[in-house]
Amino acid sequence: MKNKIAFWIITVILTAGVVYIAYTTVFQPVFTKNPLPRTVSHVSEERKKVGKDEVLIPDEDTTSTSDAVNSTKDVQIKLLELRRKEVLLRSRLVLGSEDSTYLVLDLINNLAVLELKGIPLHECHIQHVTISNSIKMYPADALLNWMSEPFALRNVDATIPKISFIEKIAPKDTLEANKMVTEPKESKLGDVFLVLDFERNLRLIISQSEQPDLEGEKIISNLRQKFNKIEISRSIKALTKFNREPVKPQIEIIIPKMDATILYKSLPLNPRMILKM
Amino acid sequence: MEIEEKQEKQDRSFLRIAMWIIPAFLLCLSVLMILYTPVFQDYAYKLKSMYTSKPLFEGKSPEAIENLMVKSRRNILSTEEKLEKLKPVKPYIVVNTAENRFSLRNVNGDTIRTGVCSTGKNELLIAGNKRIVFKTPKGIFTVRNKQQNRPWIKPDWAFIEDGLPIPSARSAERIDYSTLGDYALEIGNGYMLHGTLYQRFLGLPVTHGCVRLGDKDLEVIYNTLSKGSKVYIY
Repeated sequence: MKNKIAFWIITVILTAGVVYIAYTTVFQPVFTKNPLPRTVSHVSEERKKVGKDEVLIPDEDTTSTSDAVNSTKDVQIKLLELRRKEVLLRSRLVLGSEDSTYLVLDLINNLAVLELKGIPLHECHIQHVTISNSIKMYPADALLNWMSEPFALRNVDATIPKISFIEKIAPKDTLEANKMVTEPKESKLGDVFLVLDFERNLRLIISQSEQPDLEGEKIISNLRQKFNKIEISRSIKALTKFNREPVKPQIEIIIPKMDATILYKSLPLNPRMILKM
Repeated sequence: MEIEEKQEKQDRSFLRIAMWIIPAFLLCLSVLMILYTPVFQDYAYKLKSMYTSKPLFEGKSPEAIENLMVKSRRNILSTEEKLEKLKPVKPYIVVNTAENRFSLRNVNGDTIRTGVCSTGKNELLIAGNKRIVFKTPKGIFTVRNKQQNRPWIKPDWAFIEDGLPIPSARSAERIDYSTLGDYALEIGNGYMLHGTLYQRFLGLPVTHGCVRLGDKDLEVIYNTLSKGSKVYIY
């Protein structure tokens, strides 16, 4: 009898604990906070670049609530497609008028394209894409607003260096110079795992399709663990502070190692990205 | 009587197991929720979308949608026109420094020729206080000049690298007639697309910053590109 009472007390306490943890770490951030902040439209800047007419202005002004009638679905889908194309072209024009390379992530055709001045320099096929439900399940028109402007990079964690140089001390004479001459060899590519944090809460993870070697596997797993630990500590803190931010919406793409290296090394230090999905 | 006792014993042992399993399950669930919050949140978003899905362009009348479509089509056309203006008006070349490959393209962007080349060896030469970097610059460049059988005026680093004394600026020792090959296309800051004596190194990063090309490729590139043609290096 005593055991039964103790069992029920423990079960009730633990159930309450589970509910509390589920609410503070999972449901409260998901149901009360927006993981995809709206684009702050730099209207004046954009006007300078793409001309006054082309700016995509939020369209609340085009309709009144009195004539609010739901139109047919295919017309709405057609409009969505047009708006999607418009947003993409406008972003390409904005970035094309600059002198830096940028990334176009086309998740419709599974392509990652490195562009400069509107010219595709390098195109690679995305072998696998994983998109967070926080992006996939977001209303289509709101999602369009979220990706209506290029994403600027905020932070990057990578397993390979962006720039690497071999240091060489100049020879004193021709004899030493002749000794230093070696047959050039193709350098070995390091295993690639990139975590790119963009503005508006977007995280892009680029992994290589090839199996990493032992050392590479260790480095990649350390980087993954680093991000897991951040999330765990945020969840633990949320238990007392009751204010957990939603987990960053992320897009993970798998591409060949060479392509991942090229993309990372060819992009400038603060690259911008256009998302097409 | 014996059967009843057996049944009671079985019930008790079941209860004893349940007493452990249920709290252990709840405890594990709590720990899992903390350890795998991103996974749980991901499922929660799916759940949320079931209850909060809204129709597209909610509250818009058919006329408003039609207006938006007209506006959108107009914007697309004008943006496409502006994007078209960004495209090169002459054939151009794209150089991939990571793979040491090039692609020669016509004005429509179609590839005319591809092949191997050699780009910067990414080396830092330390000579006393001097630091000389051998790398191919990335970005967009313009062909400034085209020359056949162009002699190479050796810069200081060519002598430093060979352990030779640096001659005066106008010394004849600086002139080299063979290194650049048959053709050279200048792209600014001393960088060029040119030929090479070391054809076997094509495809490897061995240069001091210029782009070296094979003889046949260089001839086609020389004949296709003209002054003002764009060179994209990434």
